[in-house]
Amino acid sequence: MKAYLFRRTFFDSFIFAYLVMVLLVVVASPSPEEMLLLERNSILFTVAMFIGAVISSGLNKASNEKLHTLGESLFQPQYKKATKNEVSWYKTMAGWQLTVFLCVTFVVGIRVTKFSLLELLNEDGFAGAVRLFKGLFSPNFEILPKAVLNIIETIFMAFIATILAIPFAFVLSFFCARNIMKGPVAYAIYMSLRTLLNFTRAIEAIIWAIIFSVWVGIGPFAGMLALMIHSIASLAKQYSEMVETVSDGPIEGIQSTGATKLQTVWFAIVPQVILPYISFTVYRWDINVRMATIIGLVGGGGIGTMLIQYQGQAMWPEVGCIILVIAIVVWAMDQASAVIREALK
Amino acid sequence: MSNPILSVKNLVKTYPNGVQALKGVSFDVKQGEFLVVIGLSGSGKSTLLRCINRLHDPTSGEIFFEGSDIAQVQGEEVRSLRKKVGMIFQHFNLVPRHTVLSNVLMGSLGRVGSFKSIFGFFSPKDKTDAHKYLKLVGIADKEKIRVDQLSGGQQQRVAIARALAQGPSILLADEPVASLDPATCHTVMDYLKKVNKELGITIVCNLHFLSLVRQYATRVIALKGGKVVYEGSPQDITEEWFEKIYGQDAKEVHIN
Repeated sequence: MKAYLFRRTFFDSFIFAYLVMVLLVVVASPSPEEMLLLERNSILFTVAMFIGAVISSGLNKASNEKLHTLGESLFQPQYKKATKNEVSWYKTMAGWQLTVFLCVTFVVGIRVTKFSLLELLNEDGFAGAVRLFKGLFSPNFEILPKAVLNIIETIFMAFIATILAIPFAFVLSFFCARNIMKGPVAYAIYMSLRTLLNFTRAIEAIIWAIIFSVWVGIGPFAGMLALMIHSIASLAKQYSEMVETVSDGPIEGIQSTGATKLQTVWFAIVPQVILPYISFTVYRWDINVRMATIIGLVGGGGIGTMLIQYQGQAMWPEVGCIILVIAIVVWAMDQASAVIREALK
Repeated sequence: MSNPILSVKNLVKTYPNGVQALKGVSFDVKQGEFLVVIGLSGSGKSTLLRCINRLHDPTSGEIFFEGSDIAQVQGEEVRSLRKKVGMIFQHFNLVPRHTVLSNVLMGSLGRVGSFKSIFGFFSPKDKTDAHKYLKLVGIADKEKIRVDQLSGGQQQRVAIARALAQGPSILLADEPVASLDPATCHTVMDYLKKVNKELGITIVCNLHFLSLVRQYATRVIALKGGKVVYEGSPQDITEEWFEKIYGQDAKEVHIN
């Protein structure tokens, strides 16, 4: 109940403060230096949020449903959503709130991304793009042998990263499953592991690659380590969600024979999750091949590193050849993993 | 008179959500009995059995099993209790994707070390025992078949063999025939009877159908709202008692 009030008020006041800030920029047209005053601007935003919160509470207290805000209609509990007066959207506060928010955001977005039809149709720029495409579509197959060797390196990078991630993810998955971690100590372990894994996953593999290329030097080893860290976090989450859906029957059955905790996990839970585990792992390898290419761009080795070298020298026919090789391998991996996963069902 | 193998005294179980499933249940079970527990759904029958082998923790009261109070024991003692108490479930609770033989061998997990069992090292005696019990319940020819390929009745017989592989002195059966058709029902009950008579294993069984109770039980207790409301011989359950246990509008259903 309280969570709902908090969400509603926060949502409404955030939108209000955002609109106020946009209005301020338009009306006061601050200098670039003033835009950089993070501290002052944050205070302004917070003050606006307070005003928004007051307005939101006031409007939602009104008995007239038409005055209720967007936050209210979005976050109100199910029992309130169940009944509703039929009112046209333009006669309600929430409807106008949404319309103004979307229109303002669209206009601001166009300005911020410097969207410009002129640039898109600029003759010189267009000629450059045509030149690039010409290069890409007439690939230089002289570097094909090197590209093939490099993509093989990438595939193995992804493979080793996946294989090394499996044992860690397998063990972690049981400690991250709510239905196994019962009791206060177990819950504390569960929560801290979950938080750690979420945090690890929030850092993109490309950032890990940058970290590791400083640590162990540029090359496939750094890329492999980055992929492995990311795979452990992702697989552990997917695995543990699988563990949480197992049926309790076999667990009770095995427990009642006097089995130990380890035996219960091995005999009652593992048989229920093993196939989805393999399926997730094959898919993860597929994903890792694609990610390994991107990671190569920042020095993770393999085909990505080769790509960025030729791109830097604007050798478009060579780049075209590399892109072709990547496309074929990614397509083949995608097909193969789909067929394997289908067979495992 | 011999000492009872199981003696429940003033057993109370309150779930964390406040539901009082058992409100002071007391009864004795003698060696070699076929005791049937009857009562409506929600009367506390399942909770009672799960407290006896400690799948659930009782809130208060005592459970004397073979002379010692096991109501509040923890850890290793719970495991050594469970080794001696076999359990059969309404939904069989076998491990899917494993064969019949493998499921029966799991009955001996309590005796085999964790690491040995994970690598599949079961002793020759455990294996011959598994075969023996599969023969006893009449499905020795199906030992290589995956359990998910079997019919409900066959699965329940595998579950009986698994419970026997523990070498238990008492068998708890929680609605063993509730998800089976009437014909299979009698087969499974007959095997339980056989286990009771031939191996001398004491049985505590939850049942719905009064006709089955009259046919198989040597003694009956009835639970209502978490309390024992009847205790006696199955032949003595009159129309009056039936209404008391199952409510005014209940009608007795016969299955044959």
